[in-house]
Amino acid sequence: MKLIVAVLKPFKLDEVKEALKTMGVQGMTLTEAQGFGRQRGHTEVYRGAEYEVDFVPKLRVEILVDDTDADAVVDAIVRTAATGKIGDGKVWVVPVDSVVRVRTGERGADAL
Amino acid sequence: MHLLAAAVPVPYPSWLNTGDNTWQIVAATFVGLMSLPALAVLYASIVQKKWAVNVLAMMFAGFSLVLIAWVLWSYKMGFGSTSLGGGVHNGLWTQQPASGVNHIGTVKHFFDNLVGKPGQITDALNEQSQAVSAANTAIPFHFPVVSLAFFQFVFAAITPLLFLGSVLGRIKFSAWCLLVPLWSTFVYAIDAFLLWGGGYFAQEGSLDFSGGFVIHMSAGVSGFVAAWVLGPRLLRDRQHALPNNLVMAAVGAGILWLGWNGFNGGDPYYAGVSAASAVVNTNVATATGVLVWMGMDAWLTKARKPTFLGGVNGMICGLVGITPCAGWVNGWGALAVGAICSGFVWVAWNYISKVRPFSRVDDALGVIYTHGMAGLLGGLLLGVFGDPNMLEYGCGTLDKFGQVVNTPAGAYAHASSSCTPFGVNGLMYTGSFHQLWEQFRAAVFVILWSAVATFVIMQIIRFVLRGLRYKEDVLEVGDLAIHDEEAFPEERFAERVGGGAPGAFELAGISSGSSGTSPPPTSLGTGAQSETRP
Repeated sequence: MKLIVAVLKPFKLDEVKEALKTMGVQGMTLTEAQGFGRQRGHTEVYRGAEYEVDFVPKLRVEILVDDTDADAVVDAIVRTAATGKIGDGKVWVVPVDSVVRVRTGERGADAL
Repeated sequence: MHLLAAAVPVPYPSWLNTGDNTWQIVAATFVGLMSLPALAVLYASIVQKKWAVNVLAMMFAGFSLVLIAWVLWSYKMGFGSTSLGGGVHNGLWTQQPASGVNHIGTVKHFFDNLVGKPGQITDALNEQSQAVSAANTAIPFHFPVVSLAFFQFVFAAITPLLFLGSVLGRIKFSAWCLLVPLWSTFVYAIDAFLLWGGGYFAQEGSLDFSGGFVIHMSAGVSGFVAAWVLGPRLLRDRQHALPNNLVMAAVGAGILWLGWNGFNGGDPYYAGVSAASAVVNTNVATATGVLVWMGMDAWLTKARKPTFLGGVNGMICGLVGITPCAGWVNGWGALAVGAICSGFVWVAWNYISKVRPFSRVDDALGVIYTHGMAGLLGGLLLGVFGDPNMLEYGCGTLDKFGQVVNTPAGAYAHASSSCTPFGVNGLMYTGSFHQLWEQFRAAVFVILWSAVATFVIMQIIRFVLRGLRYKEDVLEVGDLAIHDEEAFPEERFAERVGGGAPGAFELAGISSGSSGTSPPPTSLGTGAQSETRP
């Protein structure tokens, strides 16, 4: 099993979600996040004073999938989240030792 | 000639009545509060978080622009003397049309009485002399020009701010700053003169107590046309158009409601019986509007739940609907107007919005429904529910200064050879369609003029600025891209850079450096407070 983590531009969420639902992905977890990568931050001005804000709003999406589905899901996220401009985000995949469905106690792939 | 006793210093001239003047200024301030903060806060909190600052900035800029235009040229266009020599033949209420008279008037007569001559009201004479208006020739005003001008200003100001709700979320700030003074000059001032300033429709007998046509219907139609010219918001913004703070929306809506006491209560121009009636009727119609909308939400929608924002919509429908009627209908009329306007607009909001042209235009906050349709309906209902016994002005005696000195028992409400009390002859009480017809004519003109003039103004601005809307990448971001400000900035992520305005300690001359030049803030410091003292 794999945990796919994606950090995305917030306004891309709808497209990504639709693409994943079409593929049959059963669920995802979403967190509002602030982050920066190569994308520069921005400037805010309050009462004449200038502030640099490095962090920009992002969405962090987490999805648990079977090993065999991981590549397809990553591809779908990359395809739908891309604008071609700097700041599109990142996707990474980490191995998962075990998963338990809280309601039933099912373990492993059954719990996905 | 007999001289009076030696003059002593006095606080005000004898034509002034302190009660009337006080009420006019207080009422004007109430109406001003309806724009700032009420409408600013209401609109800023029912748009997405990313548009809140932009709405606030446009509200404050718009309010300011109207005032500058108002004192420099446009007050006199709305309430001065006619520009084209038509002259005013009758005062508003002395000129109850003889029954059955339905003359359209000549084209020349219309254009002679279309708009006042532009002029300033900024010098001492213009500010401080006794107010006069072509619409009011029967009773002298009891306050100076500035009281009337400021009272009328707050109406002029709120009108474009109302239709900001149609165009927000894509219009350029610069386009808005041109739209407001141009619209105020070429649409508002003309409509105001025609109906209130003694112009053509006032002479014909069309009535608008506080602006059902001049303000709300005009704002609704103009906003709709402007939104159509402008094109829609981003698809994503339309699909995610959630409010950012309903508690703040309640603050804005509440001030709007009670501020309306000045809106309708100030329009008789005297702190008298009609003012009080207008205030109570306004609140009765509004309460009815709230309850009707919430009830229809609860019983007629699929969800079968009353909604708070629905209640706010109903509140606005009640307020807007009663505006053209306020002091001229009785309490039953107010109940009926509130219920009909709220109920009709509820249907329009839920069903008419799905048919063309309404389905094709992105009127962001639905100003065409709650203001445009409710204003039209209220203005027409005046012709139905206008009660001739609800007097705006009665009959009595004035002293040589123009103050009321006595009204013999019963005289106030009774016509004599020299005076007719002024009330409105609605269909329900007189069986006459005359007033309804006058209302209808004025409505048709205001709708057409608002639509056409707004369309032309928008095209001119599009030409001058080479476009009316922000580009897509700016629209994606909203406030930050346009103003470098966020409604709810997160301090943890912001770090002060560069110079900019000094902090409070620096302003007070308390700084770490002993020399005259203050050092630039360090990367750690966010002001003088964090700097170490030697």
